Amino acid sequence: MNGDDARGGNGTEGTPTDSELSARLRRLETQIERKRPQAAAEPSTRPRTNGSSSLGQAMTLSTEFVAGVIAGGILGWIVDHVFGTKPWGLIVLLMLGFVAGVYNVMRVSGFSGARPERRDRQEP
Amino acid sequence: MAVTIDPIEQFELKPLVSLGHIGHQQLAFTQSALYMFAAVGVIALITIVATASRSIVPGRMQSLAEIFYEFIADTVHQATGDGGKRFMPLVFSLFMFVLILNLFGMIPYAFAVTSHLIVTFGLAALVISTVVIFGVMKHGTHFFGLFVPSGVPKPLLAILVPIEIISFISRPISLSVRLFANMLAGHIAMKIFAFFVVQLLLAGAWSVLSPLPLFLTIALTALEFLVAALQAYVFATLTAIYLNDALHPGH
Repeated sequence: MNGDDARGGNGTEGTPTDSELSARLRRLETQIERKRPQAAAEPSTRPRTNGSSSLGQAMTLSTEFVAGVIAGGILGWIVDHVFGTKPWGLIVLLMLGFVAGVYNVMRVSGFSGARPERRDRQEP
Repeated sequence: MAVTIDPIEQFELKPLVSLGHIGHQQLAFTQSALYMFAAVGVIALITIVATASRSIVPGRMQSLAEIFYEFIADTVHQATGDGGKRFMPLVFSLFMFVLILNLFGMIPYAFAVTSHLIVTFGLAALVISTVVIFGVMKHGTHFFGLFVPSGVPKPLLAILVPIEIISFISRPISLSVRLFANMLAGHIAMKIFAFFVVQLLLAGAWSVLSPLPLFLTIALTALEFLVAALQAYVFATLTAIYLNDALHPGH
């Protein structure tokens, strides 16, 4: 509670009402979460904390990479077909697909800071 | 002596009722379609019939339906925040459909619908077209800001934007291939190891070894049940994460 209030106070003087409102909303959210019956919290926290979720993540990793390469290949083939640039579209886009595959894997495993808001927005 | 078996044979489509031809392609009501209807029937049984009484202290079936509902509602909320409520029916339907079809595939002699790439790709295409159409409807051209990472020097964008686009196109591919490959590989592996039992029993003195693949088959069956549930969960989670991009293109 105190942490939220301090953050609301430290906010910019230009929009004090906005920061106040968001702090109040956050406080309400935590209160609702606390009031919620444990039945809702139980099934949700269990798979996320133990092996089930990480196993699911491990299964996503391999296909994420392969899918990037395949998508690059398909896109390159289409580009070649449409623009008549026979080998070059496939070569360039296959390599970009390779990069996209690595990027996918990094994003799924959480190594890249590319989309931190996806998880962080709900967590605090 | 040598018994031959085709591990791929279990995935063959068998037309039950022919509905005519388009060119050389037969249109038919296959056993795959029958299993899909059966899955919808089971889901309706779990969700509609079981919750019809709406008792405050739920019975067995109602609490089963409630567990599924709360699980998916929580997953959707975690991934998309408050704006994602409207996608709850879509994600829930997809999860139940994939889960029930995966579990149907675990019944001996039954057909695993999700081991066909076209089925899973159809589901993935549904998800991605929902993301694109809803994103463009809600955010207009701002939705395509999804492909432009923020805080990146201008010259790098020339490389990063194509990579982001390829990465986006790879989503339906990875979503469909993951489910399809897991189901296909699992069912082939189970068939082959189960067949080892038969082959070893027929191999004279070697038949003392036949319990080994039997135990492996039992272990694989347990693993496949885990994979069936896990893949449905992964499908639902990723659907929710992709829908989050339509709701909040970010950047």
